[in-house]
This record gives sequence, structure tokens and C-alpha cells, in this order.
Amino acid sequence: MIPLEYELALAGILFGIGVFGIIYRKNAIIVLMSVEIILNAAIMNLVAFSSYAINPITGDPGGQVFAVLAIAIAAGEVCIGLGIYIVYFRSRKDINLEEATRLR
Amino acid sequence: MFEYALLIVAAPLVAFLLIIIFGRWTWQGGAAIAIAALATSFIVSVILFAQVLGLGALGEPVSEEVFQYNWVGPVEFGLLIDNISSLMMVLVSFLCLVIGIYSLGYMAEDKSKTRYYAEFVLFTAGMLGTVSANNFLQFLIFWETMGLCSYLLIGFWYEKSEAASAAKKAFMVTRVGDMLLLIGIMAIFASLGTFNILEIQARGIPAGALVHVVPLLLFAGAVGKSAQFPLHIWLPDAMEGPTTVSALIHAATMVKAGVFLVARSFPLVAASDIASITVICIGGFTAIFAASMALVAFDIKRVLAYSTISQIGYMILGLGAAALLFEAGHASHGFTASMYHLMNHAFFKALLFLAAGSVIHAVGSNDMRVMGGLHSKMKITSITMLFGALALSGIPPFSGFWSKDAILHEVFVAGETYGAIFTFIWVAGVITAFLTAFYAFRLWFMTFAGKTRGDIHPHESPRVMTYPLIALAIFALISGMLALVIGGFGHLITYGGTVHEGTMELLTEIFTSPLTYITLFAAVAGIGLAYVVYYKQRVSSEVFVSTSAGRGMQKLLQNRYYLDAAYRGFALHVGTGIARAADWFDRNVIDGVVNGSAKVGLLLARGSDAVDRKGVDGAVDGIAYVITGSSNRARARQTGQIQVYLAAMVMGMFAVALIMLIYLSGGW
Repeated sequence: MIPLEYELALAGILFGIGVFGIIYRKNAIIVLMSVEIILNAAIMNLVAFSSYAINPITGDPGGQVFAVLAIAIAAGEVCIGLGIYIVYFRSRKDINLEEATRLR
Repeated sequence: MFEYALLIVAAPLVAFLLIIIFGRWTWQGGAAIAIAALATSFIVSVILFAQVLGLGALGEPVSEEVFQYNWVGPVEFGLLIDNISSLMMVLVSFLCLVIGIYSLGYMAEDKSKTRYYAEFVLFTAGMLGTVSANNFLQFLIFWETMGLCSYLLIGFWYEKSEAASAAKKAFMVTRVGDMLLLIGIMAIFASLGTFNILEIQARGIPAGALVHVVPLLLFAGAVGKSAQFPLHIWLPDAMEGPTTVSALIHAATMVKAGVFLVARSFPLVAASDIASITVICIGGFTAIFAASMALVAFDIKRVLAYSTISQIGYMILGLGAAALLFEAGHASHGFTASMYHLMNHAFFKALLFLAAGSVIHAVGSNDMRVMGGLHSKMKITSITMLFGALALSGIPPFSGFWSKDAILHEVFVAGETYGAIFTFIWVAGVITAFLTAFYAFRLWFMTFAGKTRGDIHPHESPRVMTYPLIALAIFALISGMLALVIGGFGHLITYGGTVHEGTMELLTEIFTSPLTYITLFAAVAGIGLAYVVYYKQRVSSEVFVSTSAGRGMQKLLQNRYYLDAAYRGFALHVGTGIARAADWFDRNVIDGVVNGSAKVGLLLARGSDAVDRKGVDGAVDGIAYVITGSSNRARARQTGQIQVYLAAMVMGMFAVALIMLIYLSGGW
């Protein structure tokens, strides 16, 4: 059985990769993908803790169920994110985040 | 009971407002309103007088306050109805009515009639209010209203510089007396806490210096208003106004108010022997002093003005003698005699002035040297004026005789009690009677007798002017004898013990007394001398000035004893000196203080300016600078790029995570 620490470390690495991608990549699609990586890091945590908690053999199925739900929500989020990008692209002909300074 | 008396004062006041507002559109510029108001006052005051008289004859002398209106604090406005106020109201409203009617003719061609009638009725209202006031404050208010109106009316023809300066003189000279009167009234209020005349009369001034000071101050007010020595100088100059105004001032209002004031404050005067003697001396001296100046005047109105001063002197003298005798517990007729003379004088002086006005109207000059021989041209004026002159001279049965004789008799009685000084004043009074008769007939002969001297074409005045003259002439003849009919004037007006004498006793007393014949002889001698000099011209008037003493005397009199010059000099030197000193003080001390304080203020302002600029502005600017700087820096962070914000967020998150980690692991 893989120790919990390994699983958590993997989730942490995924999270770090995601954050890095969000902050440093200028392509909006890559940023969206990075967001998905962060979500996966979170789901990874849910699965890891569900398998660890209460009974190490059977685990807690609640965490696993939540993981499935989170994956479905992530899919929906991507839909919305891509929709926003399409609208944004229509108005700016570009999705380079360096040029997106309207919030200033 | 006498509430309707309010109408007497209110009618002219209302008329004043009406004339001011609507006068110019009504008949004769408001004359109709004026006459109607004066007639109302007259009718109502006759009713009032009859009622007061009726009650007085029943042995219940009326002394009632009506229409009390609490104005402020202890001041209760109202009317005081008693025998003297009701007598004065009848007198004033009658004479004002007659003079008002006469004005219709006299002022017919004047272009500012509205102003004239407005001021005329206000003057009347002032006098009526003064005589009916129930407290000294109200008295003063109406008294000053009269002062104002006298100023306005004397200066009525203000385009003439003499009129303007005469008005100013009248106002300023009477102001001296008014100021002292005000102080006197305040002193009364300070010691008694009331202005109410009846209360003051009843309580008197508590013992102390004020007993003497208060009546003297009140008398000073009377001296100013009644043109007594030494404040008489305004009255002869007051001739610059229209003659009707002179008649008003001399007969009905203004100068009579001073006598009335002494009569009103009679108990206060009587309480102080110093005040009584002062009153007697001023009155007696003024009588002869003014009469002497009338001898050399050539202005017909000026002669009458001096005569008024002199006759008022008689009234003041009578009141003073009465006060002294009253204080000593003697029954005195002096008060009665003075009021009696006031009434008689009012009639014959109004007559003389209106007749003089008629002459001036016809001749177009005041100077008696251009008149003469007017009798044939102006019979009514001439005869009525003769009546006035006879009354003024004190020839029986004309009115002046009865009252003047009574006053002189009173002074003689005082002399018997108090010694030589009153005998001396009595002699002066008799000499005054001689002088009075002389100048009255000098005036009449110079105006109406002989040949016309100037190039003049006189004509008799219109009826609206002669009828008032006739009415007044009748009164000048009978007003003295009216009192005899009812058995002595003392029934009407008296102070202290009532004097009840029958007609026969009175006549006997008058005509058996040698004093009567002495004064009568003096008067007849005066007339005789005037007849010889100015009618027959057997003796030239140059005789009087043939000696150097005579010339000196004439010069002295023509220069009015140099009193005007003295006042003028006083004003020029002392007044200007004081003004200069005040000016120096103002420039150097006051201005110095002002400039100094301005400098201090400037310094303070500079200091506060520095503090403001450096301190307050510095603080404000500093804060602004810090905020600008920091916000400039902050703005550089505000790129609008979500990723930058996110980076900051992540860093914050790490920081929070780190702190929590440290905290949860129990410190470093």
C-alpha cells in the first residue's frame, strides 16, 4: 500500500505545477489547463484521504464519490471557461493574457 | 368715565398719518383732514372740560387716569384727566383749530401745504399728549415730538438760510433744557421707581439732595421749552417760520408746555425752597429782561416774541411765588393766577400773532418802519390787534389785566412774608407792566397810525383770516371776565386749598387794593408815553438816545444784551476748542490705539499665516504627498493582469499557510 505521504506529495506537486502554469503562462488555454491540474490535485487529496481515513482497507466511499462529482464539476467549469474565451476572442481577436489589462 | 378723552389726542395723530399718506390728493393739500381732526379734538375736549368742571363745581375735583395701557415694566401709558389738563386741552385744541382755519388763507399760496398741515397736526398732537400724559415718560415723548415739530415748522421755508439756522438754533437750545429734564425724570425714577405723575405728586421726593435737584432739573426743561432766561435766545429767531407757526408756538403749544411742566410738578417745586426761589428769580428777571429787548425791535413779530418771553416770565413767577407760599403753609392764589394768565395770554397772543400775520400778508414785510397808517386800509385787523394790545398791556376789562394783576399781587404777598427780594421782584414786575404797555402800543401806533412810510399797497385779508381774528378778539376781551361770572377762576384751577370767592368779593378785593392801581397806572403811563412818542410825535424817539447812556442802552438792547454773541463766542471758542482737543485726542490717542491694535492684529495675522502655511498646510500637503507617492507606487502594481493578482494571492496564501503551520506546531 502506498503511504499517504506519497499521495499528498503528488497532490502538492500537481498543485504547484498548476499554480505555476496559471501565474506564468500567457496563453489563456494553458491557464485553463493549469486550473484543471489544480483541481486534479484537490481530487487527488480527496481520494488519498478517503482511502486513508477510518478503515485503511475499505476506506471511506464518501471521498471517492466527491472525487467523481468534482470531476464532473471540473468539466462544467472548462465549458464555461472556454465559452468566456470564445466571447473574449471575438471582441479582442486575441487571448494573450498580457494584453488583458482591462481590470486596471 | 373719561375714556373718550383718548379721542382728543388720537384725532390729530390719525390726521397726521392720513395727511402724510393721502394729503396731497385732498382739498388744500390735507387742510380738510387737519381742520376736521382739530375740530374733533376741540368738540371732545369741550365736552370733557364741561364734565370735569361740573364735577369740580360739585366739590369733587377730578383727578382720574384713564385708558391705562401697560407698556413695559412699571410704565403705564394713559391719560391723566384733571382740571389743568382738561383746561389745557380745550385751550390748545381751540387755538389750534382757529389757527388752522386762519392758515387756509395765510398758507393758500404755499406750494408745500401738505407738509405744513401734517406738521401742524403733529404739533397739536404733541401738545395735547404732553398736557394729558399720566406719566413723565409719556410726557417726555410728546414733549420731544413738539420739539421735533417746532424744528420742522420754524424751518418750514428751509430754502432761506435764516429759517434753517433758526430751526437749528431752536432745536439745539431747547435740547439743553430737554437733556436736563430727562436727567430729572430719570432721577425721579431712580428714587421713586415710578413715572406716574399722580404717584410722584402724592409721594414726593424723599429727603436728601434730590429734593432740590429734581425740581431744578425739571424747571431747566421748562426754561428751555418756555424760552426763559438764559435759554430764551431761540424764540425771537423762531420768527423765521410762517406767522401761523409763531402763533402756534407762542399761544397754544411749545412755550406753554414749559409752564405746564412747572404746574404739573408743582408739589415737587413747592417741596424745595431753593427751587421755588430759583423759579421766582428766573421768572421775574426774564419778564423785565425780555420786555426791555422788545422796546427796540423793529420786526413786528420779534416784538411779539419778546413779549411772549416776558409774559411767560410772569407765569413762571406766579408759580414760583405760589410754590414758596404753599410750602410755608399760606393759602396761595399764585397757581390759579398763573394758569389764568396762561389761558388769557394764549388768547391774546394768538390774536396778536394772527393779526401781525394779516399785516405781513398785506404788506409783505415784517419791518414796522415801512408800515404805518394801515388802520384805514385794514380796519378789522387794526381793531382786533388793538384788542390784543390792550389785553397785553393789562387794561381792564381786557383779559390780561385780571391775571397779570393777580400774579403781581401774589408776588407782593410773598414779599410781605419773605422780605426785600420779592418786593424788588414785584417792582420789576410793575416796571415790566409799564414796558409791556409801551412796546405793545409802540407796535400798534407804528403799524396802524400815522402815514404809510414804505411803498406798500396793503389790503384787508380774506374772511378766512379775519373771522378767526374776530373770534380771538372777543376772547381777548371776555376771557378774563368769564372767570368773574363763575365767581373766580380759583373754582376751576387751584392747587392745595380751594379758593371760593364770590364775584363781588373778588371785584372788591381787586379794586380796593392799592396794588391794582399801581400796576394800572404803570400800564396807562406806558400807553401814554407810546402815544406821545409814536402817535402825536411831540417827542421824537430820538430823545431816548440823545444821551450817551441812552445810546449805550439802545446798543445793548439791540444786541440783545450780547447774549447771542456770548453764546456764539462760547460756541466758537470754547466749543471749537473742545472740538479741537477732541480732534487732537481722536487723531493721536484714539487713532494711535486703533493703529496700534491694528499693528498687533497684523503681527498676529502674520504669525498665524506662517503657522497656517508651514504647519497646517504642511501637514495637509505632507499627507497628500505621502498618499500620492504611495498610490503612485501602488498603481504600478495595478497592472490589470489577473495573473499578477493571482501571484500576490498565492504568495499571501503561502504566508497564511506558513503562519498557521508555525502556530499549529506550537511556535518556533
